[in-house]
Amino acid sequence: MRTYSFFKGAAVFLLLVVLHYTVRPLVGARISIDFLVIAVLLTAVHVRPGVAALLGFATGLIADSLTPLSFGAGALAMTAVSALASWLKSTVFGDNLLLQAIFIAAGKLAFDFVYLVAERRLGVGDLLAQLFLWSPLSAIATGLAGVLVVRTFRISMEPRR
Amino acid sequence: MARATRSSARVDTVTLAACVVASLLCLILPSGTRQMFAGNLRQTFIAPLISLQVQAERARGAFIVRDITAARLDSLVLKNAELHDMELENMRLRALIGLGARLRSGFVAAEALHRPEFGEAQTVVVTAGSRAGVVERSVVVAPEGLIGYVIGTGEATSTAILWTHPDFAVSAMSADGNVFGIIKPHFGPDVERFMLELRGVAFRDSLLPGVEIRSSGRGSVAPRGIPIGTVVKDITTAGAYARTYLVRPMVMPADVTVVMVLLPASGNLESVWKAPAADSLRKAIGGSSDSLTRARRDTMPGDSTRRRP
Repeated sequence: MRTYSFFKGAAVFLLLVVLHYTVRPLVGARISIDFLVIAVLLTAVHVRPGVAALLGFATGLIADSLTPLSFGAGALAMTAVSALASWLKSTVFGDNLLLQAIFIAAGKLAFDFVYLVAERRLGVGDLLAQLFLWSPLSAIATGLAGVLVVRTFRISMEPRR
Repeated sequence: MARATRSSARVDTVTLAACVVASLLCLILPSGTRQMFAGNLRQTFIAPLISLQVQAERARGAFIVRDITAARLDSLVLKNAELHDMELENMRLRALIGLGARLRSGFVAAEALHRPEFGEAQTVVVTAGSRAGVVERSVVVAPEGLIGYVIGTGEATSTAILWTHPDFAVSAMSADGNVFGIIKPHFGPDVERFMLELRGVAFRDSLLPGVEIRSSGRGSVAPRGIPIGTVVKDITTAGAYARTYLVRPMVMPADVTVVMVLLPASGNLESVWKAPAADSLRKAIGGSSDSLTRARRDTMPGDSTRRRP
């Protein structure tokens, strides 16, 4: 059973990574679903914070490889969000849909905040617009998409025993 | 147990700290080194994902430019259709120039202005009038053949009836000059509406399908030798005193915009339109040989094609 869950989780993770590089460019909208954040958050709740941090770091580096000017910002943001999610998992939410959506949306918001501050490319005006307009909207879209993924693949958000 | 938990927590903390430090290091690396790391990742682990992203962006680009491409395609098709019309007009004008060169003199080039009003479709206004020497019954021709003749002239314009007009009549003959009759418009069912009739052909004469019909020069309307059409079939009715043939016209008036008005001095024009008798003869021979072949095939016994043992 444990092995099945592992392979299922790995398959969903890979699928979400693929979706991130196919659906997002296809839609091309400013408000986008961050499938990488969903993948990392859904995995992070099932692993130890250290493993979650490593996973977030690796996933962030993958994202950063396409934006060399901010290389490391994605890794830092994803590490922080992933580790935080792993620590919060047992206290904040269970199988409640709304809480799951809020959790994923908050993860996306946190990721964007750390990423945008760390990369230091945007001016103050653009940064504020991104943080208070586009990021929250993207976070909502990501939260909804995350819940959809959880429901579709019947992923348990209960922490491991 | 408590020690193990503490140890695990310490490992988690160290791992997290290491990841954070590594991320910060990545952030403060020199630009060249960052580019190198990113490039290596792109060429190895990320290459399949980049390939997917490229395909996705191409697909999105295709979606975006689809409407633009469709609009461009429509414009091209429209332009192409216009070009085709211009090409046809060009060919007609070239043919007209060739006809003018063969006629040498005794004609006026003019435009035919069609009048689409109800009841006026059988006449055209020709932009040449009495000032240019056009008189009543001057013949209007196109490079392919006869279109009609003038029934009224002004100083600068004339009115001509087309061969579709009920009053149109021209003395005609087969291209070899052996069979004579009168050409009139044919008022048959829709499919045959734009055809002509060769009436008054003596019963002793007969014409095969494909024989060319030209003006005979009799009756002082049209000079001799202007192509009018080709014979389609015999439509003689029972009890008639002469044969009548259905004739496919050489020119459809609606297609013609530039014409020549032949002045009264025009004489025999047989040599102006190329290969008169020969062409007619060739078509007649072709038609008769086809008829013979058909007749022979029809009379052959059904098993004549079988191999005999």
